Amino acid sequence: MKLWLRQHHQALLQTLTGAWRHLGSFGFNAVVLAVALALPFAGFTLLENLRPVSGQLAVEPEISLFLELDTPRAKARELEPAIRAILKEYQSAASVEFVPREQALATLQKRSNVPDALATLGSNPLPDGYVLRLQGYSEPDQAGRIGQIATRLEALPGVETLQVDSDWIKRLAALINVLRVGLVLLACTLGMVVIAVVFNTIRLQVMTQQEEIEVSRLVGATDAYIQRPFYYSGALLGLCGGILALVTVNLGLQPLNAEITDFARLYASEFRLLALPLPLALTLLAIAAALGWCGALLSVKRQLARLARQGS
Amino acid sequence: MIDFQQVSKTYPGSIRALSNINLSIGKGELVFLAGRSGAGKSTLLKLSAGIERPSSGALLVNGQDLGRIKAATLPYLRRRLGLIFQQQRLLQDRDLLANVMLPLLVTGSSRQEAEKRARAALDKVGLLDRARNLPQSLSGGEQQRIAIARAIVHRPQIILADEPTANLDRESANLVLETLKAFHGVGVTCLISTHDEHFLDSATRVVWLARGEIAESWRRMDAETGSPA
Repeated sequence: MKLWLRQHHQALLQTLTGAWRHLGSFGFNAVVLAVALALPFAGFTLLENLRPVSGQLAVEPEISLFLELDTPRAKARELEPAIRAILKEYQSAASVEFVPREQALATLQKRSNVPDALATLGSNPLPDGYVLRLQGYSEPDQAGRIGQIATRLEALPGVETLQVDSDWIKRLAALINVLRVGLVLLACTLGMVVIAVVFNTIRLQVMTQQEEIEVSRLVGATDAYIQRPFYYSGALLGLCGGILALVTVNLGLQPLNAEITDFARLYASEFRLLALPLPLALTLLAIAAALGWCGALLSVKRQLARLARQGS
Repeated sequence: MIDFQQVSKTYPGSIRALSNINLSIGKGELVFLAGRSGAGKSTLLKLSAGIERPSSGALLVNGQDLGRIKAATLPYLRRRLGLIFQQQRLLQDRDLLANVMLPLLVTGSSRQEAEKRARAALDKVGLLDRARNLPQSLSGGEQQRIAIARAIVHRPQIILADEPTANLDRESANLVLETLKAFHGVGVTCLISTHDEHFLDSATRVVWLARGEIAESWRRMDAETGSPA
């Protein structure tokens, strides 16, 4: 165990020394990897920021029921048990709030920027209504059930129109799913790019160190001993590329957030893009290092087999 | 120690480098392989080091059949050998100390231990004061002595030297040869190829190769005891 650790320590030291000695080419290769990794990292950052937004929206979808304008108040209030019965039938917990037309107008006047225009209408044009806030819809995918409830509610006597806000939640959920799948495909493609870049870098390293490899073999080095520094080199390249990509993405968030904050304020939102949480960032760095390791593994095996065939 | 039994080696293109070699080298022997260029000396040494595999016959080194040895086992056999090449094959971007430390590091010695033993080996070949120099700053003879230091630093049981005195002036060649003989003196088996007949005068056993076959083999006997000198 001690010997094994010592050999890994030596290999790591050799890798770090080599990287330091050829800092220029190592840095350039890390930048190439960073370019390939930055796009999926940015995508993950975006998705990670959108996830809670979409989740929050999906938690309490709203259904607004607007009654016919001439519905008597007593009859309007009588609808509530029927509404609750339908909700119970679909096992949906919900808060049901009756909104009288006077209250609706007052709210509109308070929120609207055109109180004068509303005053000119003379009479209140708004009907009585209900606002239903459905609970237990934590997943956007469950929005399909809301449509069924809405159909039933719309058929109740006295209901003029019905407005469901789940449609755009569904669209957002679908969009996020498309983005997620697209991002996975993009990450796979660019992961291949990382492997290819590391493969080629290590191939060149093996060629450069051919004499050392041959001499090492002649003095009793095992293949594992020879391969180890190259594996570390590949992993280090992947890790450094990942760190550079992560830093670039995080730096890019600053100017983006300046614009997003202004835009979000228009919708009374405090939304802004945040850097990836540390565990996820570390996971992405580990994946980048693993990709580098894979590239090195494929390259070294192939190159050493070639050297062996040449009779070293 | 090294046992060739009907060993032949044929390269692609039906180039026969060695034919039916029968040769047995015992522990602690110093054997010179002599012969002209192309006689098969280097091939015989390469076979002994496991660099090449015999085309037919059996070759036993330390009891292991090199014709059948697994690739994964070969490094462990080589750790018992000290190899010296005509072109020294020193790593030009490493100082002499690092070059000599290499066989110890590949076997898992700590850097401190490797450095200590490498310095001792450099001392034995008289080049300790040049430990931090790069190989290109040394003469051919000095580089060959560094190659010897690298070959003996891990205390091998067998030294295989392929034309170690080629391209050296007489003085340097004598020095290299004396260094090798010193290791033979402490019980290391040495198989040295040379085409320089000058060195054979003091040899105790010489194997002559010609066109891939053993043309002649003689052993100097001790006049008093009647045993090999």
